[in-house]
Amino acid sequence: MAEALSERNEVLVKNLKPAESTPVPTLREIIAKRDQLTESTGHYYGVTELSLRDSDPIKYERFYAKMHSAVLAARESARFVAASPGSREMGESLWGLATAEGDTLAVSLGFLSHTAILPVSIRYMANNDYDVNDGIDDGDVYAVSDGLTGGVPHPGDFYTYVPIVVEGEVVSWAVGINHLMENGAPVAGSWATFSVDTFMDGLVCPPMRTGRKLKQESWWKAIWERRTRAATMNILDDKMRLAGCAMIHEAVHKLIDEFGMAYYKRAIREVIEESRRMILDNMKALLVPGTYNGCAFRLVRYEGLQNVWSHANKNTLIHVRASVEPNENGLLLDTEGSSKWGYHSYNATPGGADCAVFLGMINSFSHNTKVTAGIELAVQRHYPVGSIYNPDNEYASNANLWAQTVALNSIGFNAVSRATYSRGYLEESFTIDGNWGAFQGAGTAKDGTSYGFTNFEWLGGTGRGAWCYRDGEPLVWAAWSQIATIGDAEEFESTVPPLFYLGRKLLKGYFGYGKYRGGPGNSAVHWCVEPGQHLALTRPNGGLSCTPSVGLGMSGAYPGPGSFMISARGTNLDELISEGETPRDATELLAMIDEGQLKVENLEIWKTDCPELALKNNDLFVDAAGSSGGWGDPLDRDPMLVIEDLNTGMTPNYNFVHEMNGVVAVQNDQGEWQLDEQATAEKRIAIRRARLDESQTAESWWHAERQNVVTKNFKTEIQEMYAQSISFEKFNLEFCGFWQLEAGYSLEAVES
Amino acid sequence: MSEAEFAVSKELIKQLIDGTIDAERLLKMDRKDKARFFNYIAVLQERVAWSDQILLRLGDKLYIVINDQRQRVAKCECGHELGDYRKNWKLACKIRTRRTIEEMSQVYDPAPAVPEPGWQEIREFFCPSCASQLAVEVVAPGYPIVFEMLPDLDKFYGEYLGAPLPDSAPDWYEDQTHAVTRQWAEKSA
Repeated sequence: MAEALSERNEVLVKNLKPAESTPVPTLREIIAKRDQLTESTGHYYGVTELSLRDSDPIKYERFYAKMHSAVLAARESARFVAASPGSREMGESLWGLATAEGDTLAVSLGFLSHTAILPVSIRYMANNDYDVNDGIDDGDVYAVSDGLTGGVPHPGDFYTYVPIVVEGEVVSWAVGINHLMENGAPVAGSWATFSVDTFMDGLVCPPMRTGRKLKQESWWKAIWERRTRAATMNILDDKMRLAGCAMIHEAVHKLIDEFGMAYYKRAIREVIEESRRMILDNMKALLVPGTYNGCAFRLVRYEGLQNVWSHANKNTLIHVRASVEPNENGLLLDTEGSSKWGYHSYNATPGGADCAVFLGMINSFSHNTKVTAGIELAVQRHYPVGSIYNPDNEYASNANLWAQTVALNSIGFNAVSRATYSRGYLEESFTIDGNWGAFQGAGTAKDGTSYGFTNFEWLGGTGRGAWCYRDGEPLVWAAWSQIATIGDAEEFESTVPPLFYLGRKLLKGYFGYGKYRGGPGNSAVHWCVEPGQHLALTRPNGGLSCTPSVGLGMSGAYPGPGSFMISARGTNLDELISEGETPRDATELLAMIDEGQLKVENLEIWKTDCPELALKNNDLFVDAAGSSGGWGDPLDRDPMLVIEDLNTGMTPNYNFVHEMNGVVAVQNDQGEWQLDEQATAEKRIAIRRARLDESQTAESWWHAERQNVVTKNFKTEIQEMYAQSISFEKFNLEFCGFWQLEAGYSLEAVES
Repeated sequence: MSEAEFAVSKELIKQLIDGTIDAERLLKMDRKDKARFFNYIAVLQERVAWSDQILLRLGDKLYIVINDQRQRVAKCECGHELGDYRKNWKLACKIRTRRTIEEMSQVYDPAPAVPEPGWQEIREFFCPSCASQLAVEVVAPGYPIVFEMLPDLDKFYGEYLGAPLPDSAPDWYEDQTHAVTRQWAEKSA
């Protein structure tokens, strides 16, 4: 080890000073050159010929394999430095290597779409002359957690950048990222759900140097200790990120020594251009050109909960709108028509929106090539200034943008699914939903020890939406990572000492229905035991059950229901434990209350974000998340699949599926459901008849609905939503054109 | 290997359409061969009861076809035509709207997962003939009906598939949905 460190120090010393005669370009110049070459030629960095690859493909692939193995190895070694479950055993981390301009060259396993936003902080540093005053040296350590200047999707995600400098010139960056356990916002946890502006988002760091020579400076530890509630975990996470970066840093220096700087500089450009071309090929192979539209809605229920901040004490219905249009250069994702930003924690930044959008794009189009910045060149994004994706206020909060940008990703990803379905690639076609969940908070033990936490379980694995040819699966889907895992219950119990799992289950019937049903979501029951002085939690969520996560079902199916929480405070749990019967999921909890077994003094069901819930001994916190949408008309479901779901308990309610799927069944003496074929056929005919009887023509529907639009007969929040969306020309044309509104129609934002 | 050797057979495509494909086989699907689309269309064409040429499949029971008047129209599997494909086919459907908690509880379960009335409505779009549910929207009241997908068929067939359509014309890729609502408005004026 000592020898290795010594070698590294030699490298550091060697690379600190440029040769006397060599003019070293500034970062700003380096980036300008990259942009000029790319824009003027249409090829990354002006690379029109893959000369290194074509002249010696084995050498070229060996070069890339070494680069790729460096980032893979970084993750597989460094994550064991961490103590936080999300980073060590789940998919909540990533290591990567980028060019001097921040363009990704290679990434490890983990939440891969973060690759799309690496250029944001590099360009910020360049534009603000970090390399000029007072310089960027080999092995420096930079910290980033700011959405605006770093593109970070929420400040709970923390980035470490280490420049790789040779003869005074930045030639690459090693990057390590992970989601912290706690990031020091007024709302404890790692997605501050009730932030009004960025000053409530927690530990927000624009790019800042925190260490040198691959070592953090001493003051940095004090930041974690004084500005977050999980210092021990966060310091270890910080060491983890840096350890991985140090491995990449060393590997890249060796790579340059082996292949030479000229080869390195050329090859990294070819790698990106090669993958860009492959992605364009993939898009042409998989997509049908045209226009795909999608929408989603998310309620921010702040009214009555933000009394201290009067300007934020209002509800907001966020409109997520996007279209996808394949074109010659890849595809365009246009968010025009989405809501404006607001005084809530759900605003995005262009970087944060990218981080979501590229989940689907990388998964769909980078599967058979090198995961590099090539994908970013192939996906054009339009985030109008002033919108929720590009606020024209630098203080806008973006603490929990992930709660709505995941729906934006679903719109783009579902567009790909629609296209692959139309092309006959049915094996690729499934419903995308984004109903993730988590909980977070802080406590103070009996002895005065304080702590903060995040439980990532329902972010780690969710149900996958239905395929176009079979039901979706439980728990296997996490669009943000290849590593779908909900983590170990015992690990999470150790991070929140007073909370114990009474149950952790798939939740019966909790999915979107269709010919094929979505993968079911999950539910857990957390039992609070002797919390000491204080324990309180909140819950950030993707789609909340108040509104489904996505607005459009696939091919006649229903979108998956959103997530929800139940707080049951003041219980007779001691009695139940003595009888050996305790609830294991949300449905069981509610049933036991209905049946009088479980007595609760204060029962609350939360379909929108809950405020801080303080828990005392024997209180229960129950959550459910991760459901997903169906595919196809529910009446076309194979009746035997309905019977199977009844017999396995996947669908617990016969009367529900009787009407939903038009299936008639009876239970035999053993309690098994058996199909009545004749009655099922008749039931389905009756349901079809009812559909026609209970529906109206689109024309009559339109006339009736139009009256509400003309007279502005909307809820206050909905009127404000439309007022914001039609302030953007594209949605104004659609809204006014669809409803045939007179010129000058307007919807003033309503003061609530 | 030649391109043909990579092709996914029509038999496999049928199994995918029917949902009968073996899970093991599914993991060994060959690459995205160029013949797939045409084989897919051929399989679908064999299954429908009408002879209009299928240009594209939009949904389980929804197609864009060339009808006997040489028009490109959206068409339900049952044979019901839903109009020029450039006009959102949902406007040719019958619509049922769920607005109350009771109505929404018939399609969402368990109870805490049922959407909250007022913030959205659930729109179900039915074929006026066979009553198949062709689409579902869960959107805010007053939201324009969403045109989910307007394909650029000429570009697709010409540039992506290398098999240009004989009636190619620039205005085939043009959203004409608002012409429908304009007509409705004029009728009632």
